[in-house]
Amino acid sequence: MDLGDASEKENTMKQLITLAVNNQEYELAVEPNLTLLDLLRYHLELTGTKKGCDEGDCGACTVIMNGKPVSSCLVLAVQANGKEILTIEGMETEEGIHPIQQAFVDNGAIQCGYCTPGMILSAKALLDRNPHPSEEEIRTAISGNLCRCTGYQKIVEAIEEASVKTSKPSPRSSQR
Amino acid sequence: MNECAVLNKRLPRVDAPDKARGRAAYVDDMRLPAMLYGAILQSPFAHAKILNIDTSAAKKLPGVKAVVTAQDAGLVKYGVSPARYDETLYCHQKVRYLGDEIAAVAAVDLETALEALGLINVEYEELPAVLTVEDALAEGAPLLHEEFPGNLCAEVHQEFGNVEEAFKECDLIRTDRFVNKRQDAAFLEPHVCIADYDSSGYLTLHTSTQVPHYVMRTVAMVLGIPVGKVRVVKPYVGGGFGPKCEATPLEMSASLLSMKTGRPVKMNYSREQVFLHSRARHQFIHEMTTGVKKDGTLVALKNTCHLDGGAYTSFGIATVYYAGSLLGGPYRLPNMKYDGYRVYTNKPACGAQRGHGGVAARAAWEQQLDAIAEELGMDPVDFRLKNIMRTGDVTCNALDMSSLGMKECVEAVKERSDWVHKKGKLPRGKGIGIACGFFVSGAGYPIYRSDTYHSTVVIKLSEDGGTINVLTGSAEIGQGSDTTMAMIAAEALGVRYEDVRVISGDTDLSVDLGAYSSRQTLMTGHATKEAAEDVRKQVLEVLSRRLDYPVDAMDIKKGLISFKEGTVDFSEIRRQYIKEHRGWTDPPADDKLSFKEAARIAYLEMGTIVGTGKYKPPKLGGAYKGAAVGTSPAYGCSAQVVEVTVDLETGKVTVDNMTDAHDCGFAINKNSVEGQMEGSLSMGLGEALMEEVKFDRKGRILNANLAEYKIATALDMPNIKTIIVESHEPNGPYGAKEVGEGAIMPTIPAILNAVYDATGVRINELPLTPERVYLALKKKEET
Amino acid sequence: MLLPKFEYHEPSTLEEACEILAELGTKARPLAGGTDLLVNMKKKIIAPRHVVSLGNLEALREIGSSNGTIRLGALTTAAEIAESEAVRKAFGALCQGASNLGSPLIRNLATIGGNLVSARPAADLPPSLMAYGGRLIIRNKGGRRTIPLENFIKGPGDTDLVSGEILTEVEIDKPPAHSGAAYMKLGTRKALEISLVNVASFIALDGQDGVITSARVVLGAVGPTPLRAPSAEKILLGEKPSDRLFEKAAQEAAGDSRPIDDFRGSAGYRRDMVAVLTRRTLAAALEEAGKR
Repeated sequence: MDLGDASEKENTMKQLITLAVNNQEYELAVEPNLTLLDLLRYHLELTGTKKGCDEGDCGACTVIMNGKPVSSCLVLAVQANGKEILTIEGMETEEGIHPIQQAFVDNGAIQCGYCTPGMILSAKALLDRNPHPSEEEIRTAISGNLCRCTGYQKIVEAIEEASVKTSKPSPRSSQR
Repeated sequence: MNECAVLNKRLPRVDAPDKARGRAAYVDDMRLPAMLYGAILQSPFAHAKILNIDTSAAKKLPGVKAVVTAQDAGLVKYGVSPARYDETLYCHQKVRYLGDEIAAVAAVDLETALEALGLINVEYEELPAVLTVEDALAEGAPLLHEEFPGNLCAEVHQEFGNVEEAFKECDLIRTDRFVNKRQDAAFLEPHVCIADYDSSGYLTLHTSTQVPHYVMRTVAMVLGIPVGKVRVVKPYVGGGFGPKCEATPLEMSASLLSMKTGRPVKMNYSREQVFLHSRARHQFIHEMTTGVKKDGTLVALKNTCHLDGGAYTSFGIATVYYAGSLLGGPYRLPNMKYDGYRVYTNKPACGAQRGHGGVAARAAWEQQLDAIAEELGMDPVDFRLKNIMRTGDVTCNALDMSSLGMKECVEAVKERSDWVHKKGKLPRGKGIGIACGFFVSGAGYPIYRSDTYHSTVVIKLSEDGGTINVLTGSAEIGQGSDTTMAMIAAEALGVRYEDVRVISGDTDLSVDLGAYSSRQTLMTGHATKEAAEDVRKQVLEVLSRRLDYPVDAMDIKKGLISFKEGTVDFSEIRRQYIKEHRGWTDPPADDKLSFKEAARIAYLEMGTIVGTGKYKPPKLGGAYKGAAVGTSPAYGCSAQVVEVTVDLETGKVTVDNMTDAHDCGFAINKNSVEGQMEGSLSMGLGEALMEEVKFDRKGRILNANLAEYKIATALDMPNIKTIIVESHEPNGPYGAKEVGEGAIMPTIPAILNAVYDATGVRINELPLTPERVYLALKKKEET
Repeated sequence: MLLPKFEYHEPSTLEEACEILAELGTKARPLAGGTDLLVNMKKKIIAPRHVVSLGNLEALREIGSSNGTIRLGALTTAAEIAESEAVRKAFGALCQGASNLGSPLIRNLATIGGNLVSARPAADLPPSLMAYGGRLIIRNKGGRRTIPLENFIKGPGDTDLVSGEILTEVEIDKPPAHSGAAYMKLGTRKALEISLVNVASFIALDGQDGVITSARVVLGAVGPTPLRAPSAEKILLGEKPSDRLFEKAAQEAAGDSRPIDDFRGSAGYRRDMVAVLTRRTLAAALEEAGKR
């Protein structure tokens, strides 16, 4: 290993971070080498965000950070300081599940379900900025979310259906 | 055919809402109190003697609770089939592939466990390694297993009819060589487990597996725990596709470490370790010679196959048979000779992956058949239809097509793809291709020799009759089996789908062989139906006595009791039910008697109402050696048409659309059937165009990640048209049979045939990367 | 996979950032989008003792323009570049490069600064930036300096930056009228791909039907750094565009490339594809030139 030997066993300084996850504020002290994905899954017990590869190749760990879908395994928890995070758990409201989630259920777009949270969030990010996407735009929006079960067919159909249902503006479903 | 109340519809899956909400729990989402974290030490060499293992420094590291090696684990040999138990949990005297397991550590956190691995001192003496079939079979090649001279793990020799004689009658004989590459299943959820050995010596293993039953047996056998004290339970699983069909060193390590520490132990494979573990699709090197008459009648096939098996057998003993047996259909073929050789190499072991040994064989043969059809001047669809098997036919290797909608599938895709207007009419660079395939609907025999039932199901009614609990050891891995069983139970009992709850994937619930060889719809489905009918009978019998009304004149439909003739006074039953539920604000008021009420009465009279069902296929198959592999109570089949565009300057192949027709006998849930077809096609497309596990000269995987091992993204998949064909399988519950693996069979050859149609070039090596296609085009141009 | 342990620094000003980086030298790495740094740390290829996040340096996020020269802050993400109307209008090839980088999820993290400083031979942004004649603004304790992009990348993972320096902006001058550019990438699948080969071509014509007065052909993934194709450019200059000319230039470009065999593809194939992509990008560039 180059660039300084990090195997010296000194303890590194924890950092205090504040972030909002699904509209709830958290204040935590975290190690610098903790990823946002691990923070969500193991510290905040929001296990809906999945770990498929942990190196940015599969999209299972997708969350929406300050309005943009990102792979949370490539974001340090400390980088999420001051940011707003939306995870799959935040998609539903007291009124029920989000129309995108319902569309996935109704269209048979969920098989093993492991890619599903990431897919739904990528779909949400798409429909928030482009309420009437073409099929090409849908496929591009989810091109970073790998699925091995569905061949993407019913996922694309679900997002198309959701785009019709969500294109009416709704204060709850939009996120800045 | 009477319309079903529940079946054959597009009902939402039972697990979909939880998965959509992120509430569905997979093993890594779970945590147990006092849980430790484990890690495995793996060999850095492809082939080496172990001279010494020193774990003392690792044991002393603060936070480390246990370190285990072969000394602690023992040397009980295991594998998938008892005929080839050729591995031990940890390496004993030598390592056989880069990644082979040597030791494991349990510590208070993962970081400490990984650090401890670094402190285990292993002295190796590197040995020469063999990384190809050729090298492994060469004279004087280093031996992986002493008991297997020449590195020959298994060989198969079968002949049906007389191929040499038959060739003499042929007008056209063609030979082709075909090779695919080692694959990875690339399920999104890496293997993970939590083992919990409690104070009474009971082990509970939560694991991401397709086969709780087989895992339970292997863990019990290897670690010396009685079967009755091992419980394997799978929560939701993020895909399996084959490699999760056997007990893993991860599961056995976690179990052993839990036994040693007395605490739960969680262990994960990283994505890289998933590649190192493999147990995925073999590389097959096929040489096929096919003979036909000039009118297109198929006469004989000679098929030789070498399988690059990796360091251990895994499912390979079955794979080497499937690579031959699955060409017995779906065309009438009176003469077939198969010689298969599975070879050990110093690489991760290969096993079963969707379609098993049939996929590469199918790809090779369907492309060859197309070439033969062309030479005869026949349209490829017509050639296939000429030779197609029908329901009731039996293959030369004794596979009985009790139902076979192969012809209907071919005609369906021909029409839906608009074949007649496209074949031969597309511009250069665009092509259309067709292929067929079929697969077993559950292996006819369990992996270990046994008279066991393949599936048993228990249905237990809740005491108020409101919920029908289906308890099954079967495995929901994303394919939708829980939903299938819920629908079958609802249909067979006559209740509403919403009132059925499936609890599954737990060896404590019932014996079920698990999700592999596309068996659960047929086999677990049968057992579920029987259990539901048992419950129905018990409830109606009590009702019959209470109402003094014949059982045969009663029925249960949509959760209500119906009486054939006249009105029946059930007011006494209703009064009793309401009395038992004082305080409830929703007493039954319907003018019909509900199943709930009837079930409650049945409970009061009989105690807990439990129905049981079981299924075992009849003795199947021929009398020849290896006849078992390929036998099945039923066969699903698929025909597929694919259109491609080939960029003639770069060689890049784009699949523009795919049409698949699959005969699943009877679609229990249409969305689920289509979903399995679509998923199969995406895996086939990936294998055809971009998937390949690559090794360097030292046996290290070069692309052990999802960036460089490329599976199809949403932009690589076209729209897929699916057509469900229903041939009503007599051996299947409600006529249902498989869909999970049959639909992948035609995919690769349909693409190959389409590429030929687009370019005039036949490529006999996968994957069809741009470079491979480009070189083939260039070569053609030069000749 | 665990990241190795490190000390984390989050300077709030550029001066502070340069100060820390100068002090820590090779013990530190700057962190922008993390799509290169964090991946390499997870794979244990590097393990810096200190990570200096540039995330608070808001000045590095601005996209500005004056007199047609566009200035992209180093922390501008690939997604922002791909979605910027200003970039698309004037620098279409850069937009194409940004749109083809990784996947939407990666594009929301990956920055132009990171894509340049990580200096991966197959990177998606350098070729078009070089084709447009991009310049880099670098800040250090002493002040600032400017360097043309093509002098910046020296080898795989190696750039002209020294300790204590931060790439702050990328400047591209407005292309002249009657000019056009295009970027094309060849990979095995349509997303999440590292190029087998990529090419960016830029041509400027002297008038509507004029001759080529300026040409830059940049090849990616076929050398240790993105490469200009001087032989191709020489063939093009002073000539009227035509299919035959572009074909000749394409062959020259192939000759200028220095591909190697690796597990993704062979040198021979890459060389042949340089010709194909050069011809295609030149044709696309000409088409754009006809509209400007």
